[in-house]
Amino acid sequence: MQSHASQLLDAPLARGMTAVVLVTALATPALAHSGSVAGGFVGGIAHPVFGPDHVAAMVAVGLWGAFLGAPAIYILPVVFPLVMAAGGVLGILGLPLPGVEIGIATSAVVLGMMVALAARPPLWVAAVLVGAFAIFHGHAHGAELPPGADALAFSAGFVVATGLLHLAGIAFGLLARWPAGRLAVRSAGGAIAIAGLMFLGRLA
Amino acid sequence: MRVLARPLTGIVWLSSIDPAAAHPALQGVSGFTGGLLHSLLLPSHLIAAVGLGLLIAQQAPHGARAAPVAYIAAVIAGLAALALAYVPSFAEETLLACAALSGLLAALARPLPQVMVVALAAATGLSLALDSPPDAISLAAANRALLGTAVGAGILLVFVSEGASRLRRAWQRIGLRIAGSWIAASAILVLALRLAR
Repeated sequence: MQSHASQLLDAPLARGMTAVVLVTALATPALAHSGSVAGGFVGGIAHPVFGPDHVAAMVAVGLWGAFLGAPAIYILPVVFPLVMAAGGVLGILGLPLPGVEIGIATSAVVLGMMVALAARPPLWVAAVLVGAFAIFHGHAHGAELPPGADALAFSAGFVVATGLLHLAGIAFGLLARWPAGRLAVRSAGGAIAIAGLMFLGRLA
Repeated sequence: MRVLARPLTGIVWLSSIDPAAAHPALQGVSGFTGGLLHSLLLPSHLIAAVGLGLLIAQQAPHGARAAPVAYIAAVIAGLAALALAYVPSFAEETLLACAALSGLLAALARPLPQVMVVALAAATGLSLALDSPPDAISLAAANRALLGTAVGAGILLVFVSEGASRLRRAWQRIGLRIAGSWIAASAILVLALRLAR
């Protein structure tokens, strides 16, 4: 399964990682959830990339997908943006979702723990878990979507950035093919969980 | 290196799009060239055509010929309606809904009835055309812009669907599904934003 996964993703991983570097270099800083975001595609790219809570959770999704292997390695990155869009609609419509920031921080804790503990639940459980957290991330993005005509470029930017963060997690997660890499990936999951706890601590 | 260059070029190109106002990319460009670039430079048109192209490629050979034909016929019909001074309502919202549906279906990657793909292609083509009223002040320039829009929209769809249909490897097909999910997510968000206003 692992060899299948690596065969599946070696080439796109290289592309994705290069793209992450490039778009990060191109992006202008915009603090996540500050209420002030740059418009357009680059602004949308920057939005999740410069929010450490988003970054931690997105990378954890990729790590976990790589850990679980096919088909989770591509099901999770497909499920996440679609459910995130549903959460985004709630945010755009102004429908309140309690504990959005807590949900985002918790997503880093839970998903990081899943990687650290090498949890292998059934695919549907993983998809539901990831989808549930995607609602919180989507709500946060949707509530801050700029109302101007550049909304589409902005939303495309942050959807693509989210996907590239998944890809970065998958790239690192493929190290799990080797024993030392497996330890490194699980350690990264633990680090993400700890970071999530710190995010939660700041909210308390 | 060549495989790296493709997505990088795409990202840089997308980054260069400045969609701060309605149809801003077309300012200063009119006539046939303006129409030709219309679908390429407007994010909503671009994602709708790309999403449909991915779906058509996925569904090939079912609907491989009929869907592009329906799309182009609908584009021509929509542009003809504009030429006859028809003023459409909710064209962009319909286009975004089509983009969301195309992206969602591409992400699901399930075999679909041919009639469904053809109907979606026709709806996308019609709404794309109706959302492309020319800014030209003369009738001749407006007609040239409409002709350019038809050519540009057609080339874009054929280019994407033909290109995507050549992606046969497992990871490439997965890439199509992921791209579909991104298109659906972007379109759903902006559609919600439009409807919430």
